[in-house]
Amino acid sequence: MWLWYSWQSAAVVNDEGDVLDVEINDARFSVHGAKERLQMIAEGHLPPEAVVLKERFPEAKPTAHGSAELPEFDIPQPTASQLQVADEAALLLAKEGVAVSAADPDRRLEHLLRASEELRTLHLTMEARLIEWVGLFLPSARFERNRTQVAGKLSSVDSLSAFASMLDVEDAYEQPSDSEWKSLHDWATMVSNQGRQLDRLEHAIRVAAQAHLPSTSALVGPLLAARLCVEAHGRSRLARLPSGTVQVLGAEKAFFSHLRSGTAPPKHGHIFMHPWISRSPRWVRGKIARMLASKISIAARIDAFEGTPLSQDDVDEVEAKVEAIRKEFSKPPRR
Amino acid sequence: MAKHRRIRPVSETVLLEGRNVWTVNANPGIAVRGESLRKFRGVEHRRWDPNRSKLGAGLLRTRNDPSLLLPDAGSTILYLGAGHGTTISHLHDHLCGAKNRFGGRLVAVDLAPRCLRDLTYLAEHRQGLVPVLGDARKFDAWGVLIPSRVDWLFQDVAQAGQVEIFLSAVRRFLSKDGIGLLSLKAASERHTEGGDEDIFAEAIAQLSSEVELLEHINLTGFEDQHALFVIRRR
Repeated sequence: MWLWYSWQSAAVVNDEGDVLDVEINDARFSVHGAKERLQMIAEGHLPPEAVVLKERFPEAKPTAHGSAELPEFDIPQPTASQLQVADEAALLLAKEGVAVSAADPDRRLEHLLRASEELRTLHLTMEARLIEWVGLFLPSARFERNRTQVAGKLSSVDSLSAFASMLDVEDAYEQPSDSEWKSLHDWATMVSNQGRQLDRLEHAIRVAAQAHLPSTSALVGPLLAARLCVEAHGRSRLARLPSGTVQVLGAEKAFFSHLRSGTAPPKHGHIFMHPWISRSPRWVRGKIARMLASKISIAARIDAFEGTPLSQDDVDEVEAKVEAIRKEFSKPPRR
Repeated sequence: MAKHRRIRPVSETVLLEGRNVWTVNANPGIAVRGESLRKFRGVEHRRWDPNRSKLGAGLLRTRNDPSLLLPDAGSTILYLGAGHGTTISHLHDHLCGAKNRFGGRLVAVDLAPRCLRDLTYLAEHRQGLVPVLGDARKFDAWGVLIPSRVDWLFQDVAQAGQVEIFLSAVRRFLSKDGIGLLSLKAASERHTEGGDEDIFAEAIAQLSSEVELLEHINLTGFEDQHALFVIRRR
């Protein structure tokens, strides 16, 4: 015996398709009322009409409209006005769902991280151009030591000669034209602002990652945690990855080249950024990466299921393991 | 017109002109995605880009009467995997028309909030379009919006097990003798030794066991690794 239900009606049907009892609500629903009903169904709850029938026929199996299991029977239809209200409610529900999707921290983290990536690339190219540009006019100035300060200093002065005396170098032999100087000055202002913007972006990423991925952030730092999460397309997907995949996440090119043509497999992907790996000798990086990836997997699963985050002691334990590996293999292997 | 290209009407609102498909714009003056607008006999039409819409490509490629691929104007249809609404907008032109003068109803389901953002915007200007944010496989969540079986169903979801999803949707929502269209993306299925042809052959076997396969339209050239299957429910 089946308890069929829709958003405004319900019926009890036996296996032969005979309708034993039916409850139809033919009231005029408001759009809001219909929306609540649709939401109720989507969440898997029974509408009030079905609850009434369930009391009368406790043995009937509640089955939502359209299930393939249901026998063929004369399905009660909504009235034309109910159908119209349901359509309006569906639109409202869709809009609400779209608006609520902004609450998803995975999506927000992705925008933050990709924005900082794009800004960093732009910043580095623009900074390089700035230094070449100024160097053309001031050939005796050397910027090797303080590349990052050039933009800030240049944007604070109002002529190239002032900048030359600030750096204590010979003034330009060939002066830029007025509009050329203004363009150069604007460029420098932009580069120095980008530096500030980048700091702000990274701060936002840190805050977001520490809230969204507390354990992974504690283990490998919020920036790397955020990157792994975004590369895995979300926290729950990161938690589902085997740690072997976490280890090579970000090294897809090398990994698939390994699968296709048998080149050496990559030992580490994004996790190479972590000093435990990048500051270790070459011959232990793979071992540490393997161990660290397994710990990241555990941390990601704690985050995904919102368990108690890793404590500093737990992190220290991992660090001790890293040290142990470094110590055990302190000499490069013989070739 | 200076050039005399053969104009063939497919329905009241859809026409084929040479290698182009046009639909009467239900929202005059507005192009949904920058497609060209043009007047035929004083009525504004929108160009249905076959490179962006697999149904549009199917209309050009089919060896049968193209009108068999389209639902009856004014009916209720179900569209799974709505995307950003390019195909939807043309279907709406055909099914509902301006201010829904045909009285059609187009239920469009998609999982991605980003796609729904475009669809809800579209729905505001096009009466009869019902966007649903939901998983195309979780029929229980939104199935109540289809109170009686539909005569036309389209599925374009790029995920593994597309044929299975399609068949269960057909079982649930398509009426007897109703037409179903499945746009199959070979790259979404598990990689097999035989390549795309194998995947299509397997899909044909799977479909034929349950429904009547009317046509297999290869979309190579418009959309690589894709095929459109037209079926009729037995």
